[in-house]
Amino acid sequence: MNLLPDELLGMLFLHPLKLPAGARLWMFLPLAMCIAAVYRGTRARTARELPRATVLTFIHIVIGMILIALAAYALHALVLWWS
Amino acid sequence: MKQPQATTGQVVQAGILAWILPGAGHYWLGHRGLAAVFFVAVSLPFWGGIAIGGVKTSVNPFVNKWLFLAEMGSGGYTSLCYVLNHYVGEVGPRELAVLLAGKKTVDSYPDHRRVQIEKELTGMVAYYPESDVAQIYLAVGGLLNLLVILDAIARAQTGGLPVFHHEVSAAGSEQTGGPT
Repeated sequence: MNLLPDELLGMLFLHPLKLPAGARLWMFLPLAMCIAAVYRGTRARTARELPRATVLTFIHIVIGMILIALAAYALHALVLWWS
Repeated sequence: MKQPQATTGQVVQAGILAWILPGAGHYWLGHRGLAAVFFVAVSLPFWGGIAIGGVKTSVNPFVNKWLFLAEMGSGGYTSLCYVLNHYVGEVGPRELAVLLAGKKTVDSYPDHRRVQIEKELTGMVAYYPESDVAQIYLAVGGLLNLLVILDAIARAQTGGLPVFHHEVSAAGSEQTGGPT
């Protein structure tokens, strides 16, 4: 696929990309990694401290989000069961 | 590191640089590694959001002013996208917002213009679910850069200490049993 620079720019910035079905959930992971990197970066004296701390924070965020999702699902199921 | 304590002008400069380009404030202060991390960690969600949502609706204060405000945390990127939004395509940001809100329909335009507008509404406007993902990515990109700006300012003021250095020092003193 040979794209001209203006076509490439148009594709990237003007025409929205279509996400594959089911991709929405996985889009959370890179976002969580970026949040973990910036959060840890604002607490580190040097970049050398970052990799381990970032991965740990990333894991904490993912586990936290899974627990929140499970709690929300349980609440939803409970409400359906009661009604 | 540039110098132990920066003047007010240098502190402001570090903040403005970070606002224009994520990580630029840290690079200017001499924290090259952190600058690279911040640049990638802010640029990735921002440009990812733009690719998923396109500039027409994602960087448009008339469509969603709160999203635009959050995006302005990455001021350089957002300004660039807003200028692109203005100059590309047949429909301007304000007119697009009016059309999307349903206050005006494409039928009210003359035929030749209606075709162009319909083409733009189908080709350049993001709809659910892509628009949701784009909004989240862009808002996070902009708000993360606010943290980066604060950190650049704090490092300029303190000669290299991170923005949350009090918190880090307190945690360190708890572990060692005394002040650090």
